[in-house]
Amino acid sequence: MVCNNAPAETEKLIIKLYKSAFPLVAKYVSKMGGGLDDAKDIFQDALVIYYEKAVAGNLELQKVDDKAYLLGIAKHLWLKKFRDDKNNLPLTDDLDLEYEPEIAISANKVLHYLETAGKKCMEILSAFYYHKLPMKDIAELFGYAGERSVTVQKYKCLEKVRETVKQNALAYEDFAE
Amino acid sequence: MRTSLNNIKEVDDHLLNQSAPQDALLFEVKLIIDPELKYTVMWHKQTLSIVNQYGRNNLRAMIENVHQQLFTQPEHQTFRQKILRLFYKR
Repeated sequence: MVCNNAPAETEKLIIKLYKSAFPLVAKYVSKMGGGLDDAKDIFQDALVIYYEKAVAGNLELQKVDDKAYLLGIAKHLWLKKFRDDKNNLPLTDDLDLEYEPEIAISANKVLHYLETAGKKCMEILSAFYYHKLPMKDIAELFGYAGERSVTVQKYKCLEKVRETVKQNALAYEDFAE
Repeated sequence: MRTSLNNIKEVDDHLLNQSAPQDALLFEVKLIIDPELKYTVMWHKQTLSIVNQYGRNNLRAMIENVHQQLFTQPEHQTFRQKILRLFYKR
């Protein structure tokens, strides 16, 4: 999978993967007695897992076959779904990202706030930390003169978002007491 | 960069394991002598986790958008029929 790209390229990649691998996953899910919605849910979760592994450089085989890999993850998710006997997959169990369960309640609230009040910062920060784009590309994508200025902006954003997270968590603590 | 931004960079490098060996050691010492720093590291970790959640939500939205395109736009009709046949011919 070619990753660490700008959003437009990522979308092209997703279309390509959807066209090549979704039919295989749908066929498998159908054979196992599932419906189109099951196939869709499982395939989309598999795409997220695959994407996160690929951007982090965690794929063991560099020239791994996209289709085979996605089908493999999808089969695993399907079996897991059966084993857990639940409709909702605990997706985070399969991922390497560290989430702290105790902040989950206030995290959604603060996330919602940041989506509106700090959108540009969240876009820059997620381009770097989640999508793992090179700083050079981030500078270009967001219209900064160069790597240095966007790096400074990244730390300014971290400062701002961190303060919001902190204030929100403290406010929540007061509320909970 | 101003001092507060350098402090942020220091915590960020520590969490991403990107500190130079001597800086990493210095940071460990600071963690011991400065009780506030432990909390700063905790807030920073939560911030990165929220940023990652934001990124993942965006990726999911993009994937869903692709799904909608493939299942509504006329140019993808062949693909769509191929999928639908798998489920409605049983």
